[in-house]
Amino acid sequence: MANTAIHKATRRSLLDRYGYEERSAVLFLAPVMLVLMSVAVFPILYSFYLSFFRMKLTRPNNQPFIWFENYSDLLTNELFWVSVSRTVVFTLISVSAIAVIALLVALLLNQEFKGRRVLSTIILIPWAIPYVANALMWKWIYDSGYGALNGALYQLDFIDKYMVWLGDQDKTLPLIANAFVWKEVPLAAILLLVSLKAIPADLYQAARVDGATVWQRFIHITLPAMKPGFMLVMIYETMMAIRHFDLFFILTEGGPGDASHVLSWHIYVETFRNLSFGSGAAMSYLLALATFALSYFFIRTLGRRI
Amino acid sequence: MARISFENVNKNYANGFHAVKDLNLEIHDKEFLVLLGPSGCGKSTTLNMIAGLEEVSDGALRFDDQMVNYVPPHKRDVAMVFQSYALYPHKTVFDNIAFGLQMRKQPKSEIERRVRDAARKLEIEHLLDRRPGQLSGGQRQRVALGRAMVRDPAVFLMDEPLSNLDAALRISMRAEIKELHEAMQTTFVYVTHDQAEALTLADRIVVMRDGEVQQIGTSDDIYERPANTFVASFLGNPPINYIDGEIEVRGEAEAVFQHPSVTLTLPPEMARKLSGAQGRRVRLGIRAEDVDERGDGAEGHLIHGTVNSVLPVGSDQFLGMEFGGAELFFRVGKGMRHKNGEAIALTVDVNRLHVFDAETGASLLYD
Amino acid sequence: MANSIETIDTNIDYRRRQRLGRLGHKAVILFGALLLAFYALAPISWLVSSSLQTEAEIVSVPPHWIPDEPTLQNFRAIFSAGEDEPVTYETRSGADPVSGGFIPSSASSLLPSMWNSTIVATLVVILNLLVGVPAAYAIAKIRYWGRNASMYFILITRVIPDIALVVPFFLVIRKLGMLDTIGSLVITYLAVTVPFTVFILVQFFEGLPDELDKAARVDGCSRFQAMVRVFLPLSLPSLVAVVLFTFLTSWNEFLLALMFTQTEASQTLPILLASFTSDFTVSFSFLNAAGVLAIVPPVIVAIIFERYIVSGLTAGAVKG
Repeated sequence: MANTAIHKATRRSLLDRYGYEERSAVLFLAPVMLVLMSVAVFPILYSFYLSFFRMKLTRPNNQPFIWFENYSDLLTNELFWVSVSRTVVFTLISVSAIAVIALLVALLLNQEFKGRRVLSTIILIPWAIPYVANALMWKWIYDSGYGALNGALYQLDFIDKYMVWLGDQDKTLPLIANAFVWKEVPLAAILLLVSLKAIPADLYQAARVDGATVWQRFIHITLPAMKPGFMLVMIYETMMAIRHFDLFFILTEGGPGDASHVLSWHIYVETFRNLSFGSGAAMSYLLALATFALSYFFIRTLGRRI
Repeated sequence: MARISFENVNKNYANGFHAVKDLNLEIHDKEFLVLLGPSGCGKSTTLNMIAGLEEVSDGALRFDDQMVNYVPPHKRDVAMVFQSYALYPHKTVFDNIAFGLQMRKQPKSEIERRVRDAARKLEIEHLLDRRPGQLSGGQRQRVALGRAMVRDPAVFLMDEPLSNLDAALRISMRAEIKELHEAMQTTFVYVTHDQAEALTLADRIVVMRDGEVQQIGTSDDIYERPANTFVASFLGNPPINYIDGEIEVRGEAEAVFQHPSVTLTLPPEMARKLSGAQGRRVRLGIRAEDVDERGDGAEGHLIHGTVNSVLPVGSDQFLGMEFGGAELFFRVGKGMRHKNGEAIALTVDVNRLHVFDAETGASLLYD
Repeated sequence: MANSIETIDTNIDYRRRQRLGRLGHKAVILFGALLLAFYALAPISWLVSSSLQTEAEIVSVPPHWIPDEPTLQNFRAIFSAGEDEPVTYETRSGADPVSGGFIPSSASSLLPSMWNSTIVATLVVILNLLVGVPAAYAIAKIRYWGRNASMYFILITRVIPDIALVVPFFLVIRKLGMLDTIGSLVITYLAVTVPFTVFILVQFFEGLPDELDKAARVDGCSRFQAMVRVFLPLSLPSLVAVVLFTFLTSWNEFLLALMFTQTEASQTLPILLASFTSDFTVSFSFLNAAGVLAIVPPVIVAIIFERYIVSGLTAGAVKG
């Protein structure tokens, strides 16, 4: 058949089969793939492999393959479960506070008023500063001897003597969460502002003509329209809170007692203070898996609607 | 200076969409060829394959006798004008026009000369220092033309270049493009969904639908001798009218079209072509302008109905006529006034009738 | 039924009511704006104010919100650290840690650490651009098999928590003998920054019309030339955003730096700050001045480039 002759002529070599477009795509993507393979994919797989060994750096010659023992040990490790519950509490406090404050900030910045631009520049400041500087700042604010929190509350007569804020088991997590929230609110607010701005103005006009009050307009137009953006922000902030480390390192080192002993701190202690890399790897792997599962779940359940 | 040929060309997209099906087409050197069809018919894909912007999935695409299936666009000697003009926003008009020459490493003085030359022809010399953002739609269009012109390419491709212009400008640009073709002596391939553009510009028109060629021919071929009902319907304003009925052969060169409400005598030439179609279910096509409202024709040339709408359109009027439960639309002169509900008889120009197979829609008169 | 216009109550002064409503609206906004400005600025102002106080003033109870005698002595101490007599056990124990304006022995590392931070951040920015721009262009404009897959791949790598990378990174970096080098930081920071860079640039490139790409190609550009000569000049705003994000992320990063750096050769600013906070003998005034120094560069950058940052964040959020 004449057809097949042409067929042969058009498919001469493998290089031809994958045409110019494919070849340039491969060249353009090769660097990024190389980088991500070596700094993201390989480490994750490697830590999975490591998690099957009893690996104490203090005993470099005795590192047996122990199957899932690192994982099964976690089940009976009380401190591990404490750290999980601390992480959950910290995440819940932080994310709900961020949700409320960021929403208010976004609503405010969505209004037209003098000084709006200055204000939106100001709120970028917490976002920009390093977490370590943020931690140092709040450590100083919470300071039991000379801190601003004690000073202000004392001058306003809320307390009659200076308090040891971070040393109080019940207050530690909320106080660290406060420092976290302060730094995360700007980003969350900016993202929410984007979804607010995307609401078409004639929707509000139509609602006004229909006789809706300010409050009704907020409930029936603003909130539903913001839902996708809102969910996105919540997902992102949840991820950030679950893995957060810097504040715990500087403010409390997991203390007092185990009051702020969160998972990321636990992994750090296990790996770099107890030098048991095997179980550290097992826990990091679980954390990574949990993060994947969480984001997959969010994208599956919410993604369709976004 | 190029002849372009498609041999059994197919285009499949990754999502399974079969955009172009078994295309066989020979574009002659220096021809003005128009690809015409509704959106999604594969005409732009075909154009992009010529440019090298879409890969050919199967079959062979040749420039002269060389297969170019895998030659990337920058190695083909083609120029293209886009619907959105696609001017580079960060470059001046001069640099926009010069860019193609710069990429081809032409000497500076040559670039300068050719850009100025093109700008003079297009009357945009005074705009050369501006940026595209500062130009009107018509001016951008000219810059886009200039950008393609200076290159003096082997093939000149245009993808709906006039669609974003307003009606008046569109008609004057049509004339300019026609002149440009004559001056450049190059192969032009032009994509449009606008029948008027196609009919005025084209040496030949390719009508496409769902990735398949419906008909290839001159303007006259396409309009006067449509190969099927799709082509017949796509051209003409108001569109062609259809009446379903049967052919009755009455002799060697004698045949009539039978419908419960009308019998039309077909001219001998047509009758001869239909001699084997005794009793065949057909769809008769009457173009809107092929009737005479005086209704003084002979029996067998008349169609009777009731007026149910009259739409004046300046030079003519459109007449809606109730006929056998359907509505037919005709274009008639303004000589007579009509009222809704008025019974009317129109004389049909039977020499210009079209006969299609009722099932397949293929013409029984022309192929 | 009555004509609806007749139901309007003429006893209500709508004009007055509207005016009152507007006034109330304005009051709420003013209050909110002041509150927000206070929330964002108060902690920082307190830090800055403390850094301008002497050690004697800083420990007063209740605190002085505004320094009686603002002094730059703390900053001077940082910049001249190392020139003075080195701090030894003797000088340290000889001074009163509460009022003595104590400078830790590591203070002389502060400026080198800022330099390290700058170098690391700059290298990370350059590598991000080299790697990210072609990838983003390919994903946005080249139709190749596996285009969606590569986008998903990059998105997934963005979700990996940095703490999960620490153990394998540490072992590999140690094996390569790269502990305590700037290189180890540059390499590992790519994991944290590259996915976001590609993501933002893809969003931006996709926003530029396909026809522009086609026009460039027909005009004679290879893929590479189309990227460099047409898309790069047009993507300046998003490039600025990418540069800023990458720079700030590297400048601020702590966890990985904590694992890999040990000495002045590679310690970045956050590491040094953290080491001060855990040193109980360091005076508060010095600590606060160091904190201010760490805050100033990123804040200046954020204020100057506010517009680009917001638009970049916005682009990054579209499909997050």
